Amino acid sequence: MSARLFLLAAVLVLAIAAVEPAPNGTAQGVYTAAQADAGAQAYAARCAVCHGADLAGTWEIPALKGRFIANWGRARLSQLHDYMGHAMPQFAPGTLDPQDDSAIIAFLLRENGAPAGATPLPIDKAALARISIDPVVPR
Amino acid sequence: MGAKPLLTPMRLTLDQLIDVKCCIRPLRAAGPNLSTETIGDTLVVHNYGHGGSGWSLSWGSAEVAVGKAMATLPREVAVIGCGIIGLTTAVVAQRAGLKVTIYAREMIQRTRSYRASGSFTPDSRVALAEPAGAAFGDLWEKMARLSWKSFRTYLGQPGNPVEFGDSWAVSESPITRRHWPADPAITESWRPGGLPQQNSEFAHYNERIKDIVPQPVDLSPEENPFQLPYAQRSSQMYFNFASYGHALLTEFFEMGGRFVNREFHEPGELAGLPEKTVIHCTGYAARDFWRDNTIIPVRGQTGWLVPQDEAHYALRYRNLSVLSKRDGIVVMNNLDASGHDLGEMLGVGDSMELPDRAPIEEALKTLQPLFVPGARA
Repeated sequence: MSARLFLLAAVLVLAIAAVEPAPNGTAQGVYTAAQADAGAQAYAARCAVCHGADLAGTWEIPALKGRFIANWGRARLSQLHDYMGHAMPQFAPGTLDPQDDSAIIAFLLRENGAPAGATPLPIDKAALARISIDPVVPR
Repeated sequence: MGAKPLLTPMRLTLDQLIDVKCCIRPLRAAGPNLSTETIGDTLVVHNYGHGGSGWSLSWGSAEVAVGKAMATLPREVAVIGCGIIGLTTAVVAQRAGLKVTIYAREMIQRTRSYRASGSFTPDSRVALAEPAGAAFGDLWEKMARLSWKSFRTYLGQPGNPVEFGDSWAVSESPITRRHWPADPAITESWRPGGLPQQNSEFAHYNERIKDIVPQPVDLSPEENPFQLPYAQRSSQMYFNFASYGHALLTEFFEMGGRFVNREFHEPGELAGLPEKTVIHCTGYAARDFWRDNTIIPVRGQTGWLVPQDEAHYALRYRNLSVLSKRDGIVVMNNLDASGHDLGEMLGVGDSMELPDRAPIEEALKTLQPLFVPGARA
């Protein structure tokens, strides 16, 4: 690549970054570390009783690590957020706060190897619908 | 009084307890959803919401669902879910000549179906009488009779996937069938949300098939092998999960069935499947997947003891029961925390699916002394 072409490409990348399009995959840093920390607390209070402190699930209860990414791999974050909002926790469905849902998703993403970013995960459905759950490289 | 008949006692001790399983029955006031709808260009036939009767009605219900699916003359169908309803539906579709793919998050061994008790209980929390209506009673009878015939074809198969055993009921007083008249003090009803408020609202249909299902007989003291004065005996049909699941999976794969591990999140995703006829069999999960809030959770749990091959029978006392099967002795405590018999209302509206060991231990402690010490056949 010539220096001129490289410069052009660099300018284009910067221009695209300048309008800050919503990230379209969880590999792009869609939550903040602080949000995931808050999510960890909410998880411990509302989710861990069934899914386990280590997110491993049981024979009966789905793990939220590993196969979790496969099970939700074709989904949008809005679907996961929505599911948690109306179906979880199973013994008291519909009792999670939307902010908590987003925080717990942030925590789950971090636990599943998705990177943190500069902007917290929103609760807005349309915004969440633009983010897909990306595959991760196992650690 | 003469010598009691000998019956090998079950060892109902805590050291034998190897598992406690909990599951949620999907009760719908109107009975199972067997309706159809279209999603895009895909026909969806529903087959879910069988309460505590999924195993027992599985063949008849599959027959209804597959019959509807075949009306469009498909060559292949997708079955969503691999519990007892999904897997049986898949096999029934194959026997009808269709190519079948099951899409499910789990194979049957890890579904709620495997956390049932595994006995023939075809009208257990299957519907509420009024919203289900008379027509459902007729359909229920067809499904129950067809299922019964199908289960009979598994009797004597290797591993005994389906079996009969003696079932004893014992009591301090003469045994009568419990009736639950409507309680006028309860003014709420199943309306509007489908949540039953009392026992009298539940539908009961077993009378319709008592010509084929063994009924209890009263025993004389000479025929009663237990420590209590009154006893009845009947013959109970039950399913051994391991060999039954194996038999169904073997037939499914031998007939060219395909299993795809997949979880769905919205009904619309079904339109993306290559199969344009889909039979939806996700049981309690349909509450979230299909947003069917008419599904009422009814919690139930079972304890499991080490299998005791020398004692193949069942015992029931005060709604506590043990059923000795090849895959273990099932222990059930159908009393509430204060020892009251709530009948069909036990667990209604409760979606807590973590097991609670204490009631199982309580049942074992109460039932153990009923056996005559040292009796051996």
